[in-house]
Amino acid sequence: MKKVLSVVMASALCLGMVTPVFAEAADADPVRVCIVYTGNLGDKSYNDSCNAGAEKAVEDFGIELKSLEGSTAQEWEANLVSACEEGYDLIIGASSNIADYIVKHGPDYPDTKFAVIDTTVDLPNVESISFAQNQGSFLAGAAAAMFTEKTDIEGVNEDAIIGWVGGMDIPVLHDFYTGYEQGAKYINPDIQILQAFAGSWSDPLKGKELTLAQYEQGADIVMNVASGTGSGILEGAKEAGLYAIGVDLNQDNDQPGSVLTSMVKRVDNACYLVIQSVVEGTFAGGTTQYLSLTEGGVSLTDFSVMKEALGDKFPQDIVDKCDELAKQIISGDIVVENYEGFGPNS
Amino acid sequence: MDLFGNLGKIFNASLIYATFRASTPIIFAALCAAITQQANILNIGTEGIMLVGAFTAVAVSYTTGSWILGVLAAMMGGACIAMIMAVGHIKYNSEICAIGMGINLFAIAITKFLMNVIFHTNGTFSDPGIIAIPRVHIPFLDNIPVLDTLLNNWCFTEWFVIIFIIVLQYIFYKTVWGLRLRAVGQFPMAAQAAGINVNAMKYQAMLISGLIGGLAGAHLSLGYSTQFVENMTNSRGFMGVAAMYFGGANPVLTAVGCLLFGFADSVGARLQAYGFPAQFVLLMPYLVTVLVLAVSMAIKLNAAKKRESSLIVHGTR
Repeated sequence: MKKVLSVVMASALCLGMVTPVFAEAADADPVRVCIVYTGNLGDKSYNDSCNAGAEKAVEDFGIELKSLEGSTAQEWEANLVSACEEGYDLIIGASSNIADYIVKHGPDYPDTKFAVIDTTVDLPNVESISFAQNQGSFLAGAAAAMFTEKTDIEGVNEDAIIGWVGGMDIPVLHDFYTGYEQGAKYINPDIQILQAFAGSWSDPLKGKELTLAQYEQGADIVMNVASGTGSGILEGAKEAGLYAIGVDLNQDNDQPGSVLTSMVKRVDNACYLVIQSVVEGTFAGGTTQYLSLTEGGVSLTDFSVMKEALGDKFPQDIVDKCDELAKQIISGDIVVENYEGFGPNS
Repeated sequence: MDLFGNLGKIFNASLIYATFRASTPIIFAALCAAITQQANILNIGTEGIMLVGAFTAVAVSYTTGSWILGVLAAMMGGACIAMIMAVGHIKYNSEICAIGMGINLFAIAITKFLMNVIFHTNGTFSDPGIIAIPRVHIPFLDNIPVLDTLLNNWCFTEWFVIIFIIVLQYIFYKTVWGLRLRAVGQFPMAAQAAGINVNAMKYQAMLISGLIGGLAGAHLSLGYSTQFVENMTNSRGFMGVAAMYFGGANPVLTAVGCLLFGFADSVGARLQAYGFPAQFVLLMPYLVTVLVLAVSMAIKLNAAKKRESSLIVHGTR
């Protein structure tokens, strides 16, 4: 009996050694990709956008996809390390929160390809993709500054005050804010901007409370930059009968009539492109791609949902002005400032 | 920015309602923990009971179109979870903190799973089909400026919590049942000698605690907002337990503790807008807790010392 068992085990071992060789020869193994999220899917924002790009890659290239979610820093690091140990071909850190852990663990896995979205990591096996969120936010800020003057629209008050609620206090969000502030002040130099951070990507109740607080302080439109926390921001707008600006995905339809426009950040494109580069063998570690207004990496939505909600009261001049500003940014007539450490050359 | 020019925008009438609004979920949670604490059971599972309640409320409200059924189902759901804890702790004598933490982790996982299975979505479930708990609109207040911001359009459960605090206070300290409950908590052997069925009292406390916890969850997902989000309690249950300690399981004092949390939170939300560092503002509620607990303990110790020394003086004469 013992002998039989040992023969079986030995042959199993041999098979185990042989199989990968076969697989490599046949080249049938799909590319294995793991995405580590700093938050949960279903935020109808940043993470869902990233996931949409990955799903598209699954369809187009037949890759094997694994998504790891987590809402605390401990989970993020544990997820990243377990992904490294699993030996994926490509590991994508979905947001800048994960960058520190890639810096920490990336060098230990030199054969694994890493990608990080929304920030830059300078390692030979990491490709970085970041966005000109400052440019998109410039347009959002300008739109908000024009909107707060339209006192004939229901709920809009006399004060030139606009709001901004972010998720966690991280550098990327300051790049958003820098653009938002510059855009708003470009329209009205005396405008007052209220800023708040919820300290979480997944606490919509906190987001709602912060939004209502800004409305009570005179703001009539608040920009959401808060992933999962943001659903509370949009709900707060709906409940107070006031307005918000969505982020990352087109959120205009999340609370129709309360969302003026959304600053769309094509995280899906970034995710898709980096998977494509691995599939096609053009992956370039140590490089950074910067997706700006020019490449369509960021943009505003077409305001159509709000147009329908407001009817003939809809201020068309905001849309026209935003289009004009976008052209000026692309041509370089307007230079949108970056937060320290961001921009095409960082 | 010019903070002082904007003080009027930070400390105005709406701050009072904002404080109450932010406190209500924590008050419910604290009352849920207070009733078991009176029977000497530390209900660390408050967070999990709330989360299950929040999910049940949304699921039932969405499928039946009735917020009343949603709230009732949430209370039932909360009670079921509490009974699991009760059986484990009272009948099988296991450590309550361990079961409580287990329940909290279980609640996060089961609600995430059920959301995926029932609603085929992740993370957030919001839909116009979810019927919220109605708001109480008082028409004659519409034209009174301050009272309108202060008292109008409260959520039904926000009014209810005030009545509930008073009712619980009465039950704990003025009824036979309350006396028995406290006896069981303070000295179970004496209570048993006096003919009280200790285990039955503990089961009752856990059952009611579950009902309140479920209601707390329903308020979160149908009152405070109209959606269910993964782990939407975000430690509000734990803050409730802390406030319960602050108030020594006395409903009124406990509610005061919760209001303190809510006040720190609401002032913080407004201060941030004027360039106060977010990190500092976000830790304010916790800082306030530590400070208040420290001060209240110091006063208690001081009073005890004084009493002691006066006894000694009397003794030597």
